Amino acid sequence: MSHPLTVEAPRRSPLRTTLTVLGAVAVAATYAFLVVSQPADVANGPTAAGALVALTGFGIAMVLLFAGILPSLPTTTLALIPVALVLNIVLGQFVGSTLIPIYLDSIGTVLVGFLAGSAAGAATGLLSTLVWSFFNPTVLPFAAGAAAIGALAGLAARLGVVRRFYLVPVAGLVTGFVAAAIAAPIAVIVFGGTATGATGAVIALFRAAGQNLVQSVTTGAFTSDLPDKLVTFSVAAALAYALPRRSTQRFEFVRRHRVLAGAKHATGQRADGEAATAA
Amino acid sequence: MNPLTGLAFAGSAVVACLAWASWVVWAGALAASLVAAAKAGILRRVVAAASVVVVPFALWALVIHGLFFPEGRTVLLEIGPARVTSEGLAYAGAFVLRTASLVVVMLAFSLWVSVPTLRAALVRRGAPAQLGYVLASALGLAATVAERLQRIREAQEARGLIVRSGPAGRVLAARLQVVPLVLQLVDEAGERGAALEARGYSLPGRRTSYLDEPDSRTQRVVRWALAVVCAGVVASVVIPAVVGVLTGARR
Repeated sequence: MSHPLTVEAPRRSPLRTTLTVLGAVAVAATYAFLVVSQPADVANGPTAAGALVALTGFGIAMVLLFAGILPSLPTTTLALIPVALVLNIVLGQFVGSTLIPIYLDSIGTVLVGFLAGSAAGAATGLLSTLVWSFFNPTVLPFAAGAAAIGALAGLAARLGVVRRFYLVPVAGLVTGFVAAAIAAPIAVIVFGGTATGATGAVIALFRAAGQNLVQSVTTGAFTSDLPDKLVTFSVAAALAYALPRRSTQRFEFVRRHRVLAGAKHATGQRADGEAATAA
Repeated sequence: MNPLTGLAFAGSAVVACLAWASWVVWAGALAASLVAAAKAGILRRVVAAASVVVVPFALWALVIHGLFFPEGRTVLLEIGPARVTSEGLAYAGAFVLRTASLVVVMLAFSLWVSVPTLRAALVRRGAPAQLGYVLASALGLAATVAERLQRIREAQEARGLIVRSGPAGRVLAARLQVVPLVLQLVDEAGERGAALEARGYSLPGRRTSYLDEPDSRTQRVVRWALAVVCAGVVASVVIPAVVGVLTGARR
């Protein structure tokens, strides 16, 4: 008879699956509400309903997804999530302060999606937003977009995109399209279409050309998110291949779906591995 | 004070700022948060952290809406393609004030709260233990990662790393620092995962926390009262809005 500590705890259950599905439905319903109820005339300033529905809907979705996903994740994945959050925050804070029209604030989320699947990627996106909001609360309304990025990264890995490296930028572009479509109405309703850095400059440019606010913000979101996710997916895939095989093969998702192709170049890793050990 | 009482106050202020689109409410929430931060002795940190977020937001709001607001009718100033309108300034001002009040409220809470106590309080009330671990671990790791990057940079410089000018040189330098950092962190995560597993972390059941959680009957009553009032306010705004969209009624 095995020791209790060696017994695999039941990870998936109908209740957890139902909670996860309900969380996804809450995200979709809230997004649909925001798109349908988006006012054509925004000149009147902040309104009560839109922002409150957005935060309530996405807040409920976050609770449901946490309750459904977190207890079902293996410990290896859970231990990786804080690392992903730190990578998101460190790289995002750095690039966000420059005038490059990309964010690079989801490399950790995409990496977890590649190594541990859609559910882990979505949870990482949500948690990353939650932790980052301790330093910058304005990111909190964009939690649903972050979850979608992680989920799509996991889906791409499962479909073999990371194994065929030439498809990674395409998956990045598709994810960028979805992320921009989710972020644009939230940016308009919660922040009045205000964005900082290069995205703000793009919005100002289109406003100067006479476009309405929703169109300008949507254009700004696509201008930033498409290249951002292309770069993010490519960097995350490169990092996944740069990791030692013993690290990547710890993940059941990588083994089961043969996420990564072939053997890696040992020489390329050695210098980096030595630097990490030396540091 | 119990961290959940602080969370209830912060949550109520956020709900008030979103439910009532009024300058008075936003200014009131902002002032109340600053007073609470001053009483807790964290005013400087809150103002510094909020400035990093709110100042760029305010500047860009003024650039985007203050200078380019085609819907504006009352033109105050015209410089080339830029038209400063009173409607644009009012729009920018409203969003800046609302965002500033939300940011200050939430930062006052996050800088005041003791994360380990909050974690213990949430897990004690049924939140997944994994959530508490990830939050505490990420916040702890974020505090040390800058020091690790510094050590990796020094190690690479000792091997002859020179950051050359131009984007290619910077990308190469970034790669030589970021890849070892990721390798180190992922490797540690693997070891931590094995250690957690060995301690039965994935097993179901209640967790015992040794952290004391200050609480009182008054605080419990206040928390429940705030939660009920907030739920009522949210329902009074959200339900009519959703019903309005579903029935296609004009809002």
